[in-house]
Amino acid sequence: MAREVSEICMDSVLAEMVASYCNRFYANKPDLAARRIEAIGYQVGHQLSERYTMERPRFSDHLEAIKFICKDFWSEIFKKQIDNLKTNHRGTFVLQDNKFRWLARMSVDPSADNGSNEDSSATVAESKAAQAMSMHLYFPCGIIRGALSNLGIPCAVSADMSNLPACSFVVRIKA
Amino acid sequence: MANFLAQFQTIKNTSDRLVIAVEDVSDLWPTIKTAFEERLPFKRACLNNKTRNPVFVETLPAEFILTTDSRLRSRFPQEQLLFWFREPYATIVLVTCEDLDEFKTILKPRLKLIVQNDDREWFIVFVSKAHPNNDQASKMAKKVYAKLEVDFSSKKRERCCKFDMLCPEPNFWEDLESKITECVRNTLDRRVQFYEDEIRKLSEQRLMPVWNFCNFFILKESLAFMFEMANLHEDALREYDELELCYLETVNMTGKQRDFGGVDQGDDQAALVNPGNKALTQIVQDDSFREFEFRQYLFACQSKLLFKLNRPVEVASRGYLFIISFSKSLALHESILPFCTREVWVITACLALIDATTSHYNEGLAAPEIEKEFYRLLGDLYSLARVKFMRLAYLVGYGSDIERSPVNSASLSLLPWLIEKEKLILQTTPRAKHFGIQRKPLPLEPTVLLREANRRRASLSAGNMFEMLDGRPGTIDGSGLDASPRMSPSQKVRASSMSRTNSSPGNFDSSVDRPMRLAEIYIASEHALKQTISNTELLKSLSSLEEFEQKYLELTKGAADNYHRSWWKRHGVVLDGEIAAVSFKHAHFDQAAKSYEKVCALYAAEGWQDLLAEVLPNLAECQKILNDQAGYLLSCVRLLSLDGRLFSTKEREAFQSEVVRLAHSEMKDPVPLDVSSLITFSGNPGPPLELCDGDPGTLCVTIWSGFPDDITLDSISLTLMATYNADEGIKALKSSSAIVLHPGRNTITLDLPPQKPGSYVLGVLTGQIGQLRFRSHSFSKVGPADSDDFMSYEKPAKPILKIFKPRALVDLDAAFSSALLINEHQWLGILVRPINYSLKAAILHIDTGPGLEIEDSHVIEMESYAQNEDDQAQADGAKKGSLNSEKKFECLSLKDRKIEFPDWASDIPSILWVPIRAIGDEISRSSSSAATRRQSIVDGMRTVALKLEFGVSHNQIFERTLAVHFTDPFYVMTRVTDKCHDGTLLLQVTLHSEVKATLTIYDAWLDLQDGFVHTDGGIPTSSFFPLVISPSSKAGILFSICLDKANVEEANRGLPESILNIKYGISGDRTIGAHQPALNQSIGAHSASQDLIFRSAITLQRPVLDPCLAVGFLPLPSNGLRVGQLITMKWRVERLKDLDEIEVSKHNDEVMYEVNANSESWMIAGRKRGHVSLSTKQGSRIVISILCMPLVAGYVRPPQLGLPDIDETNISCKPAGPHLVCVLPPALSSSFCIPVSS
Amino acid sequence: MIVCVAVVGHQNNPLYIQSFTEADDALKLHHIVHCSLDVVDERVNNPKKSGPMLNETFLGLLYPTDNYKVYGYLTNTKVKFILVTTDLDVRDADVRNFFRKFHTAYVDAVSNPFHVPGKKITSRIFAERVSTIVKSFGLNSAG
Repeated sequence: MAREVSEICMDSVLAEMVASYCNRFYANKPDLAARRIEAIGYQVGHQLSERYTMERPRFSDHLEAIKFICKDFWSEIFKKQIDNLKTNHRGTFVLQDNKFRWLARMSVDPSADNGSNEDSSATVAESKAAQAMSMHLYFPCGIIRGALSNLGIPCAVSADMSNLPACSFVVRIKA
Repeated sequence: MANFLAQFQTIKNTSDRLVIAVEDVSDLWPTIKTAFEERLPFKRACLNNKTRNPVFVETLPAEFILTTDSRLRSRFPQEQLLFWFREPYATIVLVTCEDLDEFKTILKPRLKLIVQNDDREWFIVFVSKAHPNNDQASKMAKKVYAKLEVDFSSKKRERCCKFDMLCPEPNFWEDLESKITECVRNTLDRRVQFYEDEIRKLSEQRLMPVWNFCNFFILKESLAFMFEMANLHEDALREYDELELCYLETVNMTGKQRDFGGVDQGDDQAALVNPGNKALTQIVQDDSFREFEFRQYLFACQSKLLFKLNRPVEVASRGYLFIISFSKSLALHESILPFCTREVWVITACLALIDATTSHYNEGLAAPEIEKEFYRLLGDLYSLARVKFMRLAYLVGYGSDIERSPVNSASLSLLPWLIEKEKLILQTTPRAKHFGIQRKPLPLEPTVLLREANRRRASLSAGNMFEMLDGRPGTIDGSGLDASPRMSPSQKVRASSMSRTNSSPGNFDSSVDRPMRLAEIYIASEHALKQTISNTELLKSLSSLEEFEQKYLELTKGAADNYHRSWWKRHGVVLDGEIAAVSFKHAHFDQAAKSYEKVCALYAAEGWQDLLAEVLPNLAECQKILNDQAGYLLSCVRLLSLDGRLFSTKEREAFQSEVVRLAHSEMKDPVPLDVSSLITFSGNPGPPLELCDGDPGTLCVTIWSGFPDDITLDSISLTLMATYNADEGIKALKSSSAIVLHPGRNTITLDLPPQKPGSYVLGVLTGQIGQLRFRSHSFSKVGPADSDDFMSYEKPAKPILKIFKPRALVDLDAAFSSALLINEHQWLGILVRPINYSLKAAILHIDTGPGLEIEDSHVIEMESYAQNEDDQAQADGAKKGSLNSEKKFECLSLKDRKIEFPDWASDIPSILWVPIRAIGDEISRSSSSAATRRQSIVDGMRTVALKLEFGVSHNQIFERTLAVHFTDPFYVMTRVTDKCHDGTLLLQVTLHSEVKATLTIYDAWLDLQDGFVHTDGGIPTSSFFPLVISPSSKAGILFSICLDKANVEEANRGLPESILNIKYGISGDRTIGAHQPALNQSIGAHSASQDLIFRSAITLQRPVLDPCLAVGFLPLPSNGLRVGQLITMKWRVERLKDLDEIEVSKHNDEVMYEVNANSESWMIAGRKRGHVSLSTKQGSRIVISILCMPLVAGYVRPPQLGLPDIDETNISCKPAGPHLVCVLPPALSSSFCIPVSS
Repeated sequence: MIVCVAVVGHQNNPLYIQSFTEADDALKLHHIVHCSLDVVDERVNNPKKSGPMLNETFLGLLYPTDNYKVYGYLTNTKVKFILVTTDLDVRDADVRNFFRKFHTAYVDAVSNPFHVPGKKITSRIFAERVSTIVKSFGLNSAG
């Protein structure tokens, strides 16, 4: 029996978590906040991978595991698969999601609007928005890292959202 | 057909290679024999395997035999069929001939005759003896050979070749060999075909009752053997496998089997690797194949082939399975077999296999995983042998005191009556009671043991076994304990106090005489074994306990080593433990320790604490005996850090006491001991301790002790690491005194010396117990159960200490705004304002500068200073203060210029009132005329150096020098307002109030200098007084005086100058400035009543009456003066009137002059004083010029010319010399010297 | 009957081990479980051995000791489940079925946010579920 949660709940929980870590617990210590959020994601991914790999043969190599993340794992979480997977065959994989759900409902904060006529403040606002946005990406990064490391693949995961709403996660497997 | 078996085997043994018949038609063989046999064996012969695929046989052994040889005498056809494999595979016909006719007439028919029966593979070798130079002969030979070919070779088959004895053609031998192999191939194919047909026929009817396995066997093995001769081992092996399969399916089915075999002398030794161990005739008796021998025989053949195929690993794996299954069938026939044949057989089988395989196996050739598997198989074989060996040992009474790992206990421990023995042993000698650890006896499976027992009972001729076993049910556990006379009460206690006793062992009846019977059994079984065992070595190893243990160790080590080289580390480790136990028993403690370390290492690494708990005590014991203190300590600590439930508190306390004991004994080389697993520490939850820069503090740390009991640490030190700046060194905090750690949570406090600003995290905890230095790195995971625990590997350690950047902690300031009275006792107010930092027990040092003194005698007052926010009307703090209810007030006293603050003043701002007195020695001068007041501020300036020591240990210092301004109450100015005809002068005295306080003048009088007198009584009418002067306002007093002509002659009797005396009072507020003197304030209820005297000097100049000389200063050069530049100063002296006769007496035509200048600013070149002549005539004048040099730049007073001889009243200065002259700084180039002024 | 079940972490460290015998030969069962890891290693590292069922989570019969059968199961996350039983004839299906249920229970247990991965499983609910699974072992298929 698959118990499901309304997606919006998930979104708000995520937003709330990020907010409270960035603004309350580790205000003006973004790196610490990021670390913690990523770590939470790590635990979640760790446990989800445990569940979603049930009833399937063990992976024989890294690629299989990554594919699992792209297909089943992703669709379990986001009801869709990763749209594009690239690799350099030397331990680096790029997983691209053309419409990353957790950023779909995210809006740039209004402070960006005022004084957008002179581009300097506009760019400032842009970067601020980008930073706020990136905070929300540490959680999924952690999830991926947690899942892979639980599958015996230690790695580092970073996110790139240069062309929203597409969002790509870069997995670098530690040799 | 069985009667062929003997023959068959002999044939087999004799014929081991292919036979090639040589039909020597013309007696050539002896001459060419050697040349031919050099070619043997044939290389890379191409044959067909059973599936008719060509295979290259590397070497094909063959033998040339003349057809005339007795060995090739024809036999009965049936035989031939049976033993066809030994028949020639090819026939070579050797001929030679020099003459065509002879060939046609004689040779050809004969050859035809030879080759007619076509079931032989044949070809003709034509040997020509012709000499190459003799071409006539060789031509002839060619002719004959050509003819020969025509007659015997066909297109499809080339049957001839020519061999020139003297100079063979180069390709002859290849030709020959290919022809031979061709023949062999064909023959082989044909025979394989034949055998297979036969075999098929037989196996079709294999399920019929008439079927005879013997025929099948002979055919099958003949075929296999033929393949083997042809070095087609794969095929041979397959044949044997099929043979075995068929045997198991048909013959060896239950019910069908007859004689099992294995009862002959020496059958106890397995014959798995030597097929020829027994004659087939022994194996097969009246058409029945004895399983015991036959299966071994088959396996031997198979393994032989496998070795030839260089597959020793397969031998091992097949062998292991074979032994397992075979020992099962041995078990089935145990009743008919000699006592313990099964065990003995298995042992010998395993050892034989191990020897064979290892000798055939060469390392590194196989793939690593294959190799690992091979070693695992060897390990299995060894441990199987070991198990069986142990069982034998049990029977003869050895090995029950061998310590067995629980996992092996089931297989190693044996008979129910042995359990009794075990129990006794366990109780009389409990194993490994280091630290008094109670070890439970090992679990044993009654089911297994019962099975075993029944089987044994059958084979063992000890009648009393029956009731012994029947006695089993219905007896209760422990009854034996009470019954057993061997039990000493203490043992009973231990038995009952066993912390982790086991259910199994007890439930067998144990009456007192059981051990006796046990002895019987030993003897009986030993006797029986002697009958069984034919292997002297094995017998020897059971002959004595020493021999037994040696063998046991050999087997166990073999197993362990091989397991370690395979994947089965854990199995290996288990055996290591058992080896260690034995070497411990034999006091080979270093070996024991080594093995135990291996075991512990694995268990610890994988975190199997339960298993570790079994072994670690033994390791510790070894280390203790070996006096390896470091190791021993470590083991104890590890034991202590194991899960608490694994040991009783008593045991754990024993560990601890060991640690302590060792720590306090002197150790040769005290090594630091890591107790991270045992002692963990953490800062207190909550915010870090915050301190101001330079403050010491006490740091609270939580230490979790894993020790079961209180433990005393002689000292503890804890390092602090500064976050964010790695270069900041690591600070160590030392505990002052010994600390007792209770089990579980402890809170200890460490004094914290002042640290650099920054935030710090806990580093390493080190400490000392006696000689022992220990270290702990681990922050306690105990405490608040947060998921941080899980993320700790990336969580930055929580800072426990913050030191702030230096800041102002207190402020000292003067509590008043305006000047105080000089020369009077005044209150010096010091405002102390702590800036949210406690001044508890602060000490203020007061140091007064020159001209200021503190009235030590007098008390010092301290009062709280009302904050500003609650009163803007604080302007006059006096009444404000009075009605300020919670205003604190206290009288303090000054001890050698130090004041200690009261507690109430530690946090609130307060004012300190210090009675002081400024001494101004010179009397104040009144200035005449409106000239600028000369008295500078500096004169009234006094300094007070304040030094405040505060903070917990007075570590904080605040220094401040207050500048206090003192002044006279008045500043006096005088001028002569009027000069009447009668010579009366009106002298006006103006009094400026200098203080911010109300002054009241009660009286004022003037003591005149000589030459002046008061016109009236000199006392101003007192109706003026008291005269009140409000702050910074003026008052004036008029005196009328006149010159007194009367006493000109009596010179210098009175004052050089006149003094103005003023009696006054002051009423002021000390919070503002000047106020009534401190001392007798008590008296002064109404302050103004206080009388003070102020005196000021006034210089009255007598007016110049008859000027006779005039001095004039001549203007300076316009280009100004420069430092270091010589200039001349000129004065003109002129006589205004003739000298009257008064001074005739003196030589009056010269004047004495004197130049006085400040030596700091001027250097006078000429004579400072001297006489110049000046005629007494009126109007005579003279210029006095002095060469001088300015030394300092700026506005300086120029030198003055004075005429000492002449009364001032007779000199008029016109024009008056300049007050100041300007001196420019020196020109850069010029050098000059300056008199050093101290 | 099942005498022992165990969960062993990916570093071969025991996460949960429970015996179901009256006789407390827990120590011995520890040993058996621990040694059975050898076979798991062998299976995983020596592909030739585990031929067809390559990478299948169910490892089948690891090895028979004298009177136990030890079965193994290796999850994708390198967590091992070990089952020790005294039954002499066990049907593969039953064991597979058992492990399937057991795996589910395990996943639920470790999904508890308060469970620290790599640490022992202390959940009481898990223990209860396991014992019920053990009790029901082989029943459904027997009928």
